[in-house]
Amino acid sequence: MNTKVLVAPSPHVHSGDSIQKNMYGVVFAMLPALLFSFFYFGLGALVVTLTAVASCYLFEFLIQKYILKTEVTINDGSALITGILLAFNVPSNLPIWIIMIGALVAIGIGKMTFGGLGNNVFNPALVGRVFLLISFPVQMTSWPVSKGLTSGYIDVETGATPLAIIKEGLKNGQSLSSLMDKIPSNMDMFLGNMGGSMGEIAGAALILGLAYMLIRKIITWHIPVAVIGSVAIFTGILHMVNPEAYAGPMFHILTGGLLLGGIFMATDYVTSPMSNKGMIIYGIGIGVLTVVIRVFGAYPEGVSFAILIMNAFVPLINVYVKPKRFGEKRK
Amino acid sequence: MTHKENFLKGFFKENAVFTLLLGMCPTLGVTSSAINGLGMGLATTFVLIMSNLVISLVSSQIPDKVKIPSFIVIIASFVTMVDLVMAGYVPALHEQLGVFIPLIVVNCVVLGRAEAFASKNKLVPSIIDGVSMGLGFAMALTMLGAIREFFGSGKMFGVTLFNETYGMLVFVLAPGAFIALGYLIAFINRVRKA
Amino acid sequence: MAGKKESTFINMVLVLLIVTLVASAALGGLYELTKEPIAAAKLAKKLKAIKEVVPEFDNNPSEEMYSVEMPTGDLLEFYPAKKGDELVGTAVKTFTTNGFSGYIWIMVGFKPDGTINNYSVLEHKETPGLGTKMADWFKPTDPAKAKASVINKNPGKTNFTVSKDGGDIDAITAATISSRAFLDAVQTAYKEYNKKMEGGNK
Repeated sequence: MNTKVLVAPSPHVHSGDSIQKNMYGVVFAMLPALLFSFFYFGLGALVVTLTAVASCYLFEFLIQKYILKTEVTINDGSALITGILLAFNVPSNLPIWIIMIGALVAIGIGKMTFGGLGNNVFNPALVGRVFLLISFPVQMTSWPVSKGLTSGYIDVETGATPLAIIKEGLKNGQSLSSLMDKIPSNMDMFLGNMGGSMGEIAGAALILGLAYMLIRKIITWHIPVAVIGSVAIFTGILHMVNPEAYAGPMFHILTGGLLLGGIFMATDYVTSPMSNKGMIIYGIGIGVLTVVIRVFGAYPEGVSFAILIMNAFVPLINVYVKPKRFGEKRK
Repeated sequence: MTHKENFLKGFFKENAVFTLLLGMCPTLGVTSSAINGLGMGLATTFVLIMSNLVISLVSSQIPDKVKIPSFIVIIASFVTMVDLVMAGYVPALHEQLGVFIPLIVVNCVVLGRAEAFASKNKLVPSIIDGVSMGLGFAMALTMLGAIREFFGSGKMFGVTLFNETYGMLVFVLAPGAFIALGYLIAFINRVRKA
Repeated sequence: MAGKKESTFINMVLVLLIVTLVASAALGGLYELTKEPIAAAKLAKKLKAIKEVVPEFDNNPSEEMYSVEMPTGDLLEFYPAKKGDELVGTAVKTFTTNGFSGYIWIMVGFKPDGTINNYSVLEHKETPGLGTKMADWFKPTDPAKAKASVINKNPGKTNFTVSKDGGDIDAITAATISSRAFLDAVQTAYKEYNKKMEGGNK
């Protein structure tokens, strides 16, 4: 008979949360954006998403079973999230073999090298995305133009993202006001009518997902608000100083991957700080770095780099801004 | 230690790159192709052998307090010789390796071997140590260069193996150097344990 | 080890003096020996770049080089290539500061009438895989891509800006900035070359 009694320190009350429950909650919150991307990019979006998710599962299984020889935990839902986020971050006409490399890098280098879920320092989907962006710059920056449900997969017309149009135009000596005519209106951008990666275009759908996650208490408001708020304030100041050289806050919030990054990627449990104060510091860091890269850097878009850089600071933030100890009295 | 052990240690047991993690700057900086890695490795090997040779001969005549400055002058002289000879006779490789040739002076492997081995040992073991450490270093750099060249541009020693458009550019750039080196060391540690 | 020298002042000075003396003597000697091969290698490299971009010649273009100072303080270098006494082409070492990151140096070869014979990219820091493609992009062998070619076109007659800006040259896919910079460097070279030719100096 096994008469061992397990003794563990408090807390003893379990909220009923589990990794799986939270993971599938996040997936549910991503559904509006996912449906939007099928609606805008048609077949291509479907192919890219399925490939990304399937390869993430496959590589996680293979690595756990044959290389690490540990318990296979592919059912915890984290591979599903990584797969969808990876698909969200790439153009919908990306060839299958490139997506598979991205999935291998995301799962293999981004997650398993560090010891699997819970030990990874960097957001796996972003590791995959940045790896692809540096490795295949041509394919990763040719954004298909939305043709609705009838859009094809590989041979589609491509166009630039609003951020790239502004960056290139300013570099070419054009004035901001003349460039603004070339990009979609704020309303169009909010509804997703612009060039970009699959998941980043539809601001409305992403905000819907945010609302769901906040109501279900899957995440707290701190990170998204800090990221978006700091971008708004920073670009607002730049815009006031010189409206001809710097685009306004609305433009920066609605374009590129800011909403996608701030809502779904910066908030990843494993790679963000534990305390509320830490989350705000982390969020502001992402916001400021994003603007710095977008406005002064070489790349037109900086959200993924900003999140990865701040990921690296998370252990440091956790040391200096500790969460309250359980059971400690409020001062 | 027999001569044979002395010779073999640099390749695996005390490999400068994989085990001692010395000389990381050229290791990461020049290994964008196998040829570059090999060229850099051989240049370093030459400097190592010559500096070990000279230092084992003269170290007994050098007072302790000026040991390091004297060693550095000796090493720097050989590095400059390599630099001049390469500029004159293999200008293409010299241009590729660029600033990393003069930087052999500060490669920890060279001064490390001078201080830790050559200054305490006789001539023959010192030369064998230089050859071993140098070739081990060259081997590591060539391996890393070959991996990066293969994944980055689909070539091996300049011979195209698959179409360049399928190459992952990141391996030609700095981040790829870190990733490839990390996995190479992990792999070698695993082999060592088994 | 027997006979280890004490670290007395005189010993230290002596040893350092001998070490540096021997080292500098050895290096000085080697420098003299390698001076010529190094100079020859440099010249060969320059000649190779010139040969690549102009028709066959039999003079030494480096000796007849002349230059024009640009507003940035950099020199535009002209290498006239002659066969016998006849000018067969001019290689112009030109540059632009409009690149994605920093200077781009290009050697462009003009035929005497101003059409481009060939070009080669000497130095740049553009993004690998994007801007780096300029080394081959503007001299395609595939006739379907003739619009990207600058070979046998005359910057005075063809509009040397990218098609996106209303010009006649197709830009590198996803690297418009580098393409603009490349064409800018070619145009700079052509303008200065034209001034010289019309001035009738050479």
